[in-house]
Amino acid sequence: MSNKLEAERPLSPHLQIYRPMLTMMMSIAHRISGASLAVGFALLTWWLVAISMGPEAYACVAGFFGSLIGRALLFAFTWALIHHMLGGIRHLIWDTGAGLDRTSIEVFAWATIIGSIILTILIWVVDYTIMGAS
Amino acid sequence: MVEFTLPKNSKVTKGKSWNPPAKDAEPDRWREYRLYRYDPDTGENPRVDTYWVDMNDCGPMVLDALIWIKNNIDATLTFRRSCREGVCGSCSMNVAGTNTLACTMHADDAKGAIAVYPLPHMPVVKDLVPDMTQFYAQHRAIEPWLKTDSPTPQKEWRQSREDREKLDGLYECILCACCSTACPSYWWNGDRYLGLAVLLQADRWIEDSHDERTGERLDDLEDPFRLYRCHTILNCTKACPKGLEPASAIASLKRKMVERV
Repeated sequence: MSNKLEAERPLSPHLQIYRPMLTMMMSIAHRISGASLAVGFALLTWWLVAISMGPEAYACVAGFFGSLIGRALLFAFTWALIHHMLGGIRHLIWDTGAGLDRTSIEVFAWATIIGSIILTILIWVVDYTIMGAS
Repeated sequence: MVEFTLPKNSKVTKGKSWNPPAKDAEPDRWREYRLYRYDPDTGENPRVDTYWVDMNDCGPMVLDALIWIKNNIDATLTFRRSCREGVCGSCSMNVAGTNTLACTMHADDAKGAIAVYPLPHMPVVKDLVPDMTQFYAQHRAIEPWLKTDSPTPQKEWRQSREDREKLDGLYECILCACCSTACPSYWWNGDRYLGLAVLLQADRWIEDSHDERTGERLDDLEDPFRLYRCHTILNCTKACPKGLEPASAIASLKRKMVERV
């Protein structure tokens, strides 16, 4: 009798009703950026393979990465890489037991967002000005 | 298992409006509440009913509003409550999208209509009452009592001031389950992952200088699921109505696992 009742019991709503909060969004962002790194490294592999295949293959790949879409992809890849790296550092700090109080978790979340944006832009600025990318 | 949608028998339907206030009613006098309702006797799917609470006649907390609705509009509304001051942990539920105690949540801390659901991803017994059987069984599984090998002292088990202070932030837990049921890891793997409240309790006994079975307790937690399903999503710490940090307790347990190797 009681087993039958339990089987019929509805499951209360979860994802559908939980209010999105910055800390949980950062957890999801960490996973998404990690997964997209796999795509980014596939692009990197493509580039390396092209180098080994000679000037013609390389020119084709370089042409793609030089295009607007290619650059946008690389920019997104840079951001995912930096975001995931800062997220990783955050997790390392948490593993020591520090930074898990209510104030710190918000500060860490914002530091990851702002830090990743600033660092990504900085890398591209350095790339274009000092390294002379065009 | 990860399942983002609700099973067929759990899909929430639109319920009815019980007492919409008159068009010319005083502004701000009537506060809108949308309550999850489920009646096991009808076999119908759960629904969300809308009630309006007369704030001229009702206390300031969400629990006051629930009691007001039960007394004045719909006596069949079912929920758990006891102490009405945040020490018993009975009235834990999802209010305005986050798990909390209805008795310590001020209605003015939520904007607009206040949605109230049972604790997330739990079997519902009726309305706002979830079935806590599994949660209590998990608490039982960590053997939350003093375990010693030394003979019982004549007078008392002594504890230094410093050792006692190690229990601060752990002993205050009232086992309301707000943290455990806020955690997506617990939603997807609640059958094997112990969950925040239970792990915090495990840490409470492992930290206790009286307890002499620390190694055994850590052995029991050494499992890919029981302890290590925490992904630091931190819904737990955000939800805890007692201001505790369940994620810190888990970090502390993981650290002790490493330190003893």
